[in-house]
Amino acid sequence: MTNDPREAFVQEVDELLEAMESALLSLEETPEDPELLHTLFRAMHTIKGTAGVFGFDPIVDFTHRVEGVVDGLRSGERALDEPLIAILLSCRDHTLALVQAVLEGEDPSQVSADLLGRGQQLLDRLCPEPVGDLTAPVASAPDGYGAAKVEKLAGREAADDYWIISLGFGPDALRNGMDPLSFLRYLGSLGEIVDIATRTDRLPPLADFDPESCYLSFQIGFQSDADKATIEGVFQFAEDDCEIDILPPRSKIEEYLALLDDLPEAQVQRLGEILVKIGALTEKEVAQALAAQAADQASARPLGEILVGRHDIQRSIVEQALDKQEKSKSRVAQEGRYIRVDALRLGQLITQVGELVINTAAMRVAVQRRDTDDLQEVVERVEALVGDIRDNALQLRMVQIGETFSRFRRVVRDVSKELGKEIDLVVTGGETELDKTVVEKLNDPLTHLVRNAMDHGIETPQERLACGKPAKGTLQLNAYHDSGRILVEIRDDGAGLDPQRIRAKAEARGLVEPERNLTPQETFRLIFEPGLSTKDEASSLSGRGVGMDVVRRNIEALRGSIELDSQPGQGTKVSISLPLTLAIIDGFLVGAGGEQYVIPLAQVAECVEIGREQALTHGDRHHVNLRGEVLPYLRLKEFFGIRSGAARKLRESLVVVRVGHAKVGLIVDELHGELQTVIKPLGRVFENLKGVAGATVLGTGDIALILDVQQLTALLQAHPQPQAVSGRH
Amino acid sequence: MGKTIMIVDDSASLRQVVGIALKGAGYDVIEASDGKDALAKLTGQKIHLIVSDVNMPNMDGITLVQEVKKLPQYRFTPIMMLTTETESDKKAQGKAAGAKAWLVKPFQPPTLLDAVSKLVLP
Amino acid sequence: MTIHLEEDGETCRLAIEGEMSIYEAADHKNGLFERLEGCREMVLDLSGVGELDSAGLQLLLMLKREAEAGGKRLQLVNHSQAVYAVLELLKMEQHFGDPMVIPAEWRTP
Repeated sequence: MTNDPREAFVQEVDELLEAMESALLSLEETPEDPELLHTLFRAMHTIKGTAGVFGFDPIVDFTHRVEGVVDGLRSGERALDEPLIAILLSCRDHTLALVQAVLEGEDPSQVSADLLGRGQQLLDRLCPEPVGDLTAPVASAPDGYGAAKVEKLAGREAADDYWIISLGFGPDALRNGMDPLSFLRYLGSLGEIVDIATRTDRLPPLADFDPESCYLSFQIGFQSDADKATIEGVFQFAEDDCEIDILPPRSKIEEYLALLDDLPEAQVQRLGEILVKIGALTEKEVAQALAAQAADQASARPLGEILVGRHDIQRSIVEQALDKQEKSKSRVAQEGRYIRVDALRLGQLITQVGELVINTAAMRVAVQRRDTDDLQEVVERVEALVGDIRDNALQLRMVQIGETFSRFRRVVRDVSKELGKEIDLVVTGGETELDKTVVEKLNDPLTHLVRNAMDHGIETPQERLACGKPAKGTLQLNAYHDSGRILVEIRDDGAGLDPQRIRAKAEARGLVEPERNLTPQETFRLIFEPGLSTKDEASSLSGRGVGMDVVRRNIEALRGSIELDSQPGQGTKVSISLPLTLAIIDGFLVGAGGEQYVIPLAQVAECVEIGREQALTHGDRHHVNLRGEVLPYLRLKEFFGIRSGAARKLRESLVVVRVGHAKVGLIVDELHGELQTVIKPLGRVFENLKGVAGATVLGTGDIALILDVQQLTALLQAHPQPQAVSGRH
Repeated sequence: MGKTIMIVDDSASLRQVVGIALKGAGYDVIEASDGKDALAKLTGQKIHLIVSDVNMPNMDGITLVQEVKKLPQYRFTPIMMLTTETESDKKAQGKAAGAKAWLVKPFQPPTLLDAVSKLVLP
Repeated sequence: MTIHLEEDGETCRLAIEGEMSIYEAADHKNGLFERLEGCREMVLDLSGVGELDSAGLQLLLMLKREAEAGGKRLQLVNHSQAVYAVLELLKMEQHFGDPMVIPAEWRTP
């Protein structure tokens, strides 16, 4: 939860713009979808409104103009086409830029001239011609006064764009000094009386005519920007002597409907409250209608019916308000299930739960030593509970990957336009959940892979048609859970990778010996080696040669792995396997020199026993010959500088670990097997300790270090005899 | 033709401020310090609106309304009462007597001008 | 005050001087409808009307209704600016069917 309203604003803006982008992209398919158009409108409208409260004028000015155009789209005045979608997407980006500029700048009411200029350019493209003067007066009917005019005014539910005001003065109005003409004159100062019908049908026969009584009523077509309460206020002093009905104009109806839409659904309100809030009704009107309802309890008419019956309001507004009320009810019911929580606090909770798990394990050991059955039972129960709490806490940080996936709709759209390719993005498995911290770090590698697929994978429409494929290429993003890990696939139906070209390039760079035999799989893996880019010239999007090895490193930093498969002419599939969370690790427990170590299971290739004859030493380098493959290795005990008196055994256990395609061996004393454990970050004491990613507490209460295999491998490749702490030979 | 408004209040400074505002808007203004003074000044000339305080010495606003309603020449003249939020009983009395317009004190001159012009434009 | 100008049995010519407000309404009513009773055509000169309020307007509307009901002709002539302003406000310039002479300076901008 954040206390700075500006942060909340940024978050709101992010969400609204995200929704706007999504809507725009979907509108390419269904350009008239009212829901989607409304989403656009709502984004601009809400940002404008909120920015106004903060005094962020540049944002208000810009979004106001865009909102106007979007409103024209909604009303059907203007049609949405591809160029317009492109401009609106740019407007969306510009809004974001404005928000950032305003929040970073010193004076929130100003941004740089450059930014303003860009905004103006966009607006110029958005509405090349000046928007017609919407406030131009409606030509008043030439006919003067009479029954026809009364009919025309009375029978209309705001068919024209002006207020319809009906005034029926009571007999005492004139005697009380309340002259209808005075009010009408004053009304004229608030706007334009477009049309007015003076009704005399209440004038009695001459014999009954009291010249000091008032028999007049008026029906007025009135054009004004004033709100309903202001117009009602004109007649405030006549309220005892006059029946007043004020029906809003059509444009107001739309405004009310839009306002209704914008009302937060967080709170259920009464119908009257809703209608007063948007200005469709005045409090007086509601009070009168409620009084009428109370007076006529027998018929039990709903308030909305009464209001429409009293000509206080158009039916369409009441219906929409009731609809809104209904939505709020369900929203409130639903919203009770969600709260926004600061990710930092959640992280803290998870860390503390991790500590709790470790301490519970320690407690268990302590209790076991004392051998008291009753205590043991308690400990077991506590342990089970703590385990549940841990799982639940981790679950709190799980988010669906779909949001990340849908960001790529924009990337795919923009890039394919830029490249002159036609590409469909198909997203599946968006509901698959994984840890938020993992999702965040997945964004960059995914972007790179997606761009790669579009840049190098999918061909131009001409090329595709030439080889008998549909002109439109397909890019697929998929995610699913598989045995405690999440698998993310990026698949394209493009040209595929050419193993021979990769091989040739790899040989040229000295990444593989010409005489070595590689399976196609192994060849494809070469693409993840540093300095290998298959495209001869780098494009602006990808292929700068920094690509795939960085992707691989990013994925491995998440304790994940990446695989690539490709069929020439058919396409390419990249599969990323990730742990569901960074807080829990599947490990392999080994012992060395009396200490215990955890090796991330994903990086364990195999465990073998080797005899002395297999361990070779070239100079000071240790190598082991494993079925013809020569691997560098280190003795974990020596690496961590543990002196143990035990003599070396004839046969030792070798754990072969793999980082990408590099393999190294770790010689350990014991193999304890697999375990799942919570990672506890190392304190500052261990800052200088190399090759260690963290620590965990075992069920025995002992602490085990978790090995950073990636770092170990790098160390081993750089130094013949690396040490965990430098200078400690 | 200018419209004439009579302002009745025992506070001379209030009359002065209101008077300046009304004159500025184009009205002619007659000032009276209480009900008695007001009645004394209703002598033949046309008055388009009477704006009167409720609580005044000598003759209060409600009585003034009742008296004005008895004068053939002024009985239909609109009357606006100046009152405070708490005087709802007075408001009812005044309304019954025939003063239909009300303005709650304290007010700023523009508010008064706005209220006045609903009844009489200058 | 209603001023009687001329009456020849067929046509009654009247001029109203002063205000046509609620204060005069009762008087005007008595004078006007009585005269209407006794003639076939009424010509009402409004040039001297200094003020017309809703009561006065209502009276004119009533007069027109009664005239039409009795198959008589009512003609309003020489509208003063005050009368014209009210008819203009209510967009009733055409209602009484009388030609109006409107000096340019009356027109509200």
